[in-house]
Amino acid sequence: MSGYDSALTVFSPDGHLFQVEYALEAVRKGTCAVGVRGKDVVVLGVEKKTVAKLQDPRTIRKITMLDDHVCLTFAGLQADARVLINKARIECQSHRLTVEDPVSVEYITRYIAGVQQKYTQSGGVRPFGISTLIIGFDADKVPKLYQTDPSGIYSSWKAASIGRSAKTVREFLEKNHKDDMDRDDTIKLAIRSLLEIVQTGAKNIEIAVMGNDSVLRTLDASEVEAVTALIEKENAAEAEKKNKKKGDASAAAGESSSAS
Amino acid sequence: MEALFGITGKGFVLTASDTTMARSIVIMKHGEDKSRVLNKNTLMMYTGEAGDTVQFAEYVQRNVQLYGIRNGVPLSAHATASYTRRELAKALRTRNPYHVNLLIAGTDPKTETPELYWLDHMASMVKMPFAAQGYASYFCMSTMDRYWKPDMTLEEAKALMQKCIDELKIRFIASLPQFTIKIVDKDGIRDVQL
Amino acid sequence: MLDLSFLPSGRGGAVTDLPDDQDDAQTFAMDAAAFSHPSFVLPSVADPVAWMKHQMSDAAENRIKMAKGTTTLAFKFKDGIIVAVDSRATGGTYIASQSVKKIIEINPYLLGTMAGGAADCSYWERELGRRCRVYELRNKERISVAAASKLLSNMVYAYKGMGLSMGTMVVGWDKTGPALFYVDSDGQRLKGDLFSVGSGSTFAYGVLDSGYHCNLSIEEAIDLGRRSIYHATFRDAASGGSVLIYHVRQDGWQVISRTDVTELHYQYAEEPRPSLL
Repeated sequence: MSGYDSALTVFSPDGHLFQVEYALEAVRKGTCAVGVRGKDVVVLGVEKKTVAKLQDPRTIRKITMLDDHVCLTFAGLQADARVLINKARIECQSHRLTVEDPVSVEYITRYIAGVQQKYTQSGGVRPFGISTLIIGFDADKVPKLYQTDPSGIYSSWKAASIGRSAKTVREFLEKNHKDDMDRDDTIKLAIRSLLEIVQTGAKNIEIAVMGNDSVLRTLDASEVEAVTALIEKENAAEAEKKNKKKGDASAAAGESSSAS
Repeated sequence: MEALFGITGKGFVLTASDTTMARSIVIMKHGEDKSRVLNKNTLMMYTGEAGDTVQFAEYVQRNVQLYGIRNGVPLSAHATASYTRRELAKALRTRNPYHVNLLIAGTDPKTETPELYWLDHMASMVKMPFAAQGYASYFCMSTMDRYWKPDMTLEEAKALMQKCIDELKIRFIASLPQFTIKIVDKDGIRDVQL
Repeated sequence: MLDLSFLPSGRGGAVTDLPDDQDDAQTFAMDAAAFSHPSFVLPSVADPVAWMKHQMSDAAENRIKMAKGTTTLAFKFKDGIIVAVDSRATGGTYIASQSVKKIIEINPYLLGTMAGGAADCSYWERELGRRCRVYELRNKERISVAAASKLLSNMVYAYKGMGLSMGTMVVGWDKTGPALFYVDSDGQRLKGDLFSVGSGSTFAYGVLDSGYHCNLSIEEAIDLGRRSIYHATFRDAASGGSVLIYHVRQDGWQVISRTDVTELHYQYAEEPRPSLL
């Protein structure tokens, strides 16, 4: 023990805040969440832990509303998230009370990141063990997607992932994200990216979609199932095509060799 | 000189509020909506001291909204009225009480039961089948006593509301040229014409 | 149980005791809550509101009389908003100045008018200007007129009953187009198309209401504003001096004119009365 990783968030001599880095580690251990922005839609997808046989699955919700038009999901410690969500919800109403308008997505992101930062620089507290993805629409009807992390950094994304295997998912998104995707394509990309790391498939994926009417709709299990089936079919077709091509190529090679 | 009305019917509450904002002898504005939507099925109408009314109504509105978003279930009309009464009572025992008189109208979206609560600035709360706030109550409570009956249709309620407004036009010294009429039912809150 | 103590009501900006040390004031401005109410020290009596009420009543030994008189007006029309004011400052029957600027330039696209206590108006509208700038820097966009007027009404509401005297119109142009709000020291805040405030407002309304419609040309609107103020200065002893006119457009406000009412008096006297039929 060096002493720089115990109770207080203080710098280590080489400039690290170990507590914050450990918080990031807690995030990396959390279930994966993705956000994808389409043309006039934004989608959140989360990996759901399998519930125990006797547990009520409705009591575990990872996608929550902050206000009528802003929605948040997170990766990391669920209990910490609840506290942060509560603070954000109060701020949303307080903002409406003081300036009449609802919060902008960036405003509430900045507020949440601000709270997270405060917990890296105050005495007697520990950082929040969560990263968040925040989606929503402002008056301009453009889809917004933001990410925050335990250090208090926030940033805007076209598509983002947090939590377990976030890197794999992000690389997948980087390869496959296109601008101006329609609703179905956006949902499909979110599910496809999650399927990269969720082996158990549709039953462990939850998807929420917000269109530019700012109404959040959580997809039914059957809908997610249908998209997953479609993706699997496409993948299979793709693989077959590849196989066939490979077969053709090898056959061609065989012919040429026989000709010589 | 302000007037508020509420009449319950079968599955709805019909409300009316005058739209005049006056300061001393001058009418500053016609067409002001003296109500706030607390949630999808609950409406709060207010009269009273300038400044206090909107500040208090919006304070309650934001807290009721906060409750809804935190719990995933909207606050019922009865709970809203009780909470509002409590806030008024708390403020009453401080140095600056809110001088606000209210009507809270709500319809339970599941049971379709209409509810109407009358609250004054001394934090009394009464559940009523019909109610009026302000000088209007001196003219129109008797009218409503005479004509109101349970389970009125919307047409009947509108006719009764019209009677009340007409009575004010005949006997009340202040001119209240325009009223905002709303209906609160299971589908939400809408403006209607008499 | 509904514990909503964290969502504060408008009350409670005022403090009854001095802060423990001056550092508090420093951190206050830097705090994330720079939008909470500024806190002034109040008279150290049990009930400042009741105390103030007494001091301003006939029963007080040394009665505080609020001496004020003004005519201000603003109205929306198809090409923006016209703001017109007089320029007289009075203290009782004494004319203290004939050249007061009663339109306060909050920033290049927001104006406030001044009626009631001059100090209260200029202080709170300057404070509003500061907050609008902070808002702009934080949110990378201009504050809406609705939000600006709400900030002002929230600030003065915290001091309700403690002697503030302010009747102002907050005027500007934002994403929603031209906007006009009336805000006073009672905490009243109204959105509207046409307002007049001050002791001469009834006279101004008399001319304004009879000549107003939405489709006025810019020249007609300016003329209507000027005439309304002139007629108010003619009938209201506490209004006078010159008429100052601003025009608010999409690209911000513009000063139109400043004309002595004496000049207007003779100019208007020459003109024939308009046809009534």
